[in-house]
Amino acid sequence: MTTHENTTSAARRSLLLPIFVFVASALFLPWVGAGPIRVAKVLHRQSPDYEILVQLRLTRTLLALVAGGGLSLAGSLFQAMLRDALATPYTLGISAGASLGAVAVIAGGWQMVWGIPATWVGALAGAFGVLTLVLGGFSRRRQISAFSLLLTGIAINSVCASLIIILGGFAGMSRTFSIARWLIGSVDSTSFTSLGVLSAVVFVLAALVISQARSWNLLAVGDQWAASRGVRVPTLLKTGFAAGSVMVAGAIALTGPIGFVGLIVPHLVRSKITPDHRVLLPSVFLFGGALLAICDALGRIVLPPAEIPAGAVLALIGGPYLVWAIRQRRPSEEM
Amino acid sequence: MSHLLEVANLQLSYGRRIVLRSATLTAQSGEFLALVGVNGAGKSTLLDIIAGFRKPAAGSVSIAGRDQKAWNIRELSQRVSHLPQAVHADLPYTAEQLVAMGRYPHTDRWFESDEDHTFIREAMERTHCWEYRRRNFGSLSGGERQRVLLAACLAQNASILLLDEPSTFLDIEQQLHCFSVLREEAKTGKLCIAVTHDLNLALTHCSRVLVLADGIVAHDLAASKAQENEQWLGLFSSRLRIGNTPAGTPWIWYQ
Repeated sequence: MTTHENTTSAARRSLLLPIFVFVASALFLPWVGAGPIRVAKVLHRQSPDYEILVQLRLTRTLLALVAGGGLSLAGSLFQAMLRDALATPYTLGISAGASLGAVAVIAGGWQMVWGIPATWVGALAGAFGVLTLVLGGFSRRRQISAFSLLLTGIAINSVCASLIIILGGFAGMSRTFSIARWLIGSVDSTSFTSLGVLSAVVFVLAALVISQARSWNLLAVGDQWAASRGVRVPTLLKTGFAAGSVMVAGAIALTGPIGFVGLIVPHLVRSKITPDHRVLLPSVFLFGGALLAICDALGRIVLPPAEIPAGAVLALIGGPYLVWAIRQRRPSEEM
Repeated sequence: MSHLLEVANLQLSYGRRIVLRSATLTAQSGEFLALVGVNGAGKSTLLDIIAGFRKPAAGSVSIAGRDQKAWNIRELSQRVSHLPQAVHADLPYTAEQLVAMGRYPHTDRWFESDEDHTFIREAMERTHCWEYRRRNFGSLSGGERQRVLLAACLAQNASILLLDEPSTFLDIEQQLHCFSVLREEAKTGKLCIAVTHDLNLALTHCSRVLVLADGIVAHDLAASKAQENEQWLGLFSSRLRIGNTPAGTPWIWYQ
């Protein structure tokens, strides 16, 4: 077997582990929780085990898998677009817009809008407000670059953070607590309808983004490098920004801002498996979903009957691990 | 017969500063052109316009007898490769992964084919970087990186190679090797245009020397006859002199 055959088959093989971890998480994690679930009862659809497994833990696990996958993929996408390993789903302002929208409805005391949780509507409205503002501005000027996107994101983050603080100040004690809880980010059980809509959106956009993996490889080197190898850079940037933003908006609407998963997973996959986006992007999606689902499951069992939000578990485990992984790296592995 | 490359009356300004006033040149396949000029003369800008990165305010570029705008970006990238003056040094890719990107315009396959790997290996061997193909690009020295980037351009197998200071960071032996490789490419029918500040490297390896000054191609010299007209040297420095080596090649030194 020649060297390049080894390289190609190794790349293909490296996708097997994330696929296994993702599928295993989907099958195993719904069974994890504060109280035991009996298989026999589930098979006979007996209460409460069947309802706990299917309506609570299964939807929750699937939500974590989809949201974590979408957020991680968006993180690696933004890192390629901005050529910045520290970029996260937060960086371009979409998370901030979503958070502002959600905080606004919590502060306003709205619970449900058109039968949908108001925080979802607020988060989606905020995220799409930012998306429209940014893409609208760039289409008028007919110019888009990674640098201009980054600066715009920084500005939007600052404005939204200020408005969130102001809204929190007017919200009163109980709503301020709700705002703080939402901003940590957590995975709760949801309806299969919501889950189905989110999954459809995330899977379609993930497939689109992953299908452009070769272009992301080129763009991560430089705009001119990509252009001279056949990439329409402005179109790719707009597509990436829009696809990443919609995935982030959808995920955040249901889970709150858990952006850290979009930093840690791409970073670890890039350094431990490969920086090649043809393998990196699908791996990041699968590992990101699995990691969030595992953190959510851990949050259910470490301090029962209390539950620790998945965002907090992720930060507590992922933060120290990321620091350790960075210290273990050789200089040649610097990103 | 149409030229492989025809550039006519290009104009471009950065704000009030006119960079290209009316740049015109033609070139055929099999030529190796050196594009020289002082800092800020517009050499890189001219390459950027030919590569399609920048739109000129006026003028036209024709590639293989067809207006540049009539090619779509994929077709253009199959015909024109561009070596940038610099890329980010902290790229996470290995040397081989970076060179493999040169094959992207030629295939829609998810992973590279056997033919692609043949091009990649050949390009890396020619630029002496095959032995460190597995190393991370960020861990390489400036000269080693430059050889990888040149290999990526060669692997692209385009008929026009635009090279913005290809010998930057290279030691003397590798500078000579780099220009020799480009001369070999030209002999196979490619058109190579290299921006360089090393006039002797240009005179000893290139077929023509184009001197960019005052926004135009002020001098278009056959390299072998560069000493017949010393006027162009004055654009660089009044201390430069030109003569011939014992082998008869033009040679420049400074006083």
